[in-house]
Amino acid sequence: MSAPTTNVRAKTSARTIVWLQGLAGLAGFAALLEIVPRSGLVSPYYLPPLSTIMVALFGEIHRAEFWSALSDTLKAWAIGLAISLVAGILISIAIGSSHVLRTLTHSTIEFLRPIPSVALIPLAVLLFGSQIQSTLVLVVYASFWQVLIQVLYGVQDVDPVARETARSYGLGRWAQIRYVIWPTTLPYLMTGVRLAAAVALILAITSEVAIDTQGLGKEIADTESGGAVAAMYAYLIVAGVIGVIVNLGARALERRVLAWHPSIRLDSAEAGA
Amino acid sequence: MPITRRKYLSSLAATGAAALAAPMVSPARAADKLSIAVIPIADCAPIYLGKAKGFFEKQNLDIELSTQGGGAAIIPGVLSGQLQFGFSNVPSLLIAQTKGLKFIGIAPGVASTGISGNDFCATLVPGDSPINSAKDLTGKTVAVNNLNNIGEVAVRAGVKAAGGDPKSVKYIEVPFPDMPAALADHHIEAGWMVEPFVTIARSRGDKVVDWPFVAIAPKVMIAIYFASEQYANANPDIVKRFKAAMAESLAYADSHTDEVRQMIPTYTRISPEVAGKITLPIWPAEFNRPSIQALADDSLEVGLISKKADVAALLP
Repeated sequence: MSAPTTNVRAKTSARTIVWLQGLAGLAGFAALLEIVPRSGLVSPYYLPPLSTIMVALFGEIHRAEFWSALSDTLKAWAIGLAISLVAGILISIAIGSSHVLRTLTHSTIEFLRPIPSVALIPLAVLLFGSQIQSTLVLVVYASFWQVLIQVLYGVQDVDPVARETARSYGLGRWAQIRYVIWPTTLPYLMTGVRLAAAVALILAITSEVAIDTQGLGKEIADTESGGAVAAMYAYLIVAGVIGVIVNLGARALERRVLAWHPSIRLDSAEAGA
Repeated sequence: MPITRRKYLSSLAATGAAALAAPMVSPARAADKLSIAVIPIADCAPIYLGKAKGFFEKQNLDIELSTQGGGAAIIPGVLSGQLQFGFSNVPSLLIAQTKGLKFIGIAPGVASTGISGNDFCATLVPGDSPINSAKDLTGKTVAVNNLNNIGEVAVRAGVKAAGGDPKSVKYIEVPFPDMPAALADHHIEAGWMVEPFVTIARSRGDKVVDWPFVAIAPKVMIAIYFASEQYANANPDIVKRFKAAMAESLAYADSHTDEVRQMIPTYTRISPEVAGKITLPIWPAEFNRPSIQALADDSLEVGLISKKADVAALLP
């Protein structure tokens, strides 16, 4: 009984150390941001010390515009991600379960996938101007492929024996998807979700900066063009914090959804969770 | 779990019902709703003042203003009908016109003060630069915010007027906010800037070598409010009322600069402190046609447009 407990303790303290190291790294970065402008290495007008940026951030969170920008960005992110997920899952399962479809679409997918989403900015502006649809075009285009490709790989990874067994037991098409394809694909899908969530955030903010759709990106562009330099950095920090939260959220989701999966189960068992 | 879902569904239903009910509660003769895009700069203060003062309401217009940094999305927005009116500088509209897009100027936008030494646009160099006049810009590289736009027209006019060789001036594209830093680091030899960056750069030790708008025409009209020809022809009554409200707004702004300075920080991120110091443009309530013609001629000379612009079509 005592051996596993020590083991758990050791693991827990190892985790704490990782956390502490992460925090120490962050603190070091913060100190650098404070010292570099103050030392005159770069002009404090163009890169204000962190303390000045934090004061500006404090000022920003008291403005109603801050919160509406935040909610606009999160809205575009969530809608875009949801569209990508639904479309990506449905299309890739359809393509993946048919050999003919796979060969038919392969070259087209490989052609479309590398087109950078930002290259679609002029198209989005022409179609939708500075409305949320423009952001969604960019977000969906960028994150859709992340989901599609992952799930496609997942579907191809299904054990042929399991597939044949299911077929010979007379499982219908839906039952096969539900009990054979889905469990195999899920870990791939979760990777796709994590990648897509990050990419969607990047593109949401990019399109706000570039085409002035409402959101944090527009605040970044506006504070820049208004000469409010410290406030601009404050919005960069906000964007970074959201990125961290999105990534933590995606990881937590992965852990929860795949709790049954050997890779996660081993990890949790070791960590004593 | 089922309860939460039911709750969620019922709240959805309620939202749907509210959305359906909304049109019914609006009054019978509602104000015409207009979506208008402007640029978050001092130039656009009159329309915000006019809205705040109720000049648009008086014309039974309900205007919704949005800002677009570079203004790049304003022309497509007006073209597609998402925006009824937009704010744009004249050269951009002339370029659009020569490409076959039909726009009509509805109201004056903003004009240069016409005062050399006190304008909202200037060409600046680092404080220790050997360049001392527009003539000295001959053979130099000047930063403008957009290539092939009004910056080049202005700088060339200034160099030409000062007796320099405008053809020898080279241009590079640098966003306005980056120009003071680029000057300070001597990454660029000169920068063509507008407010608030003229004030910011001067406060950081850069010096003005030219006030080039004066060289184009006295009190040159730089920007206007415009609509698509299609929209203007289909909605003559709204256009008439918008014109009337704009005329009142422009006149009010031009004579109440203190209120303009207070208004600027509400729709831009220019701080109240800087807004109190910048040089404001002027807001004539009538189109200055000769100055727009001069701007069109200069645009042709510089090669911004490939054929003669039809100013009469833009300002019928």
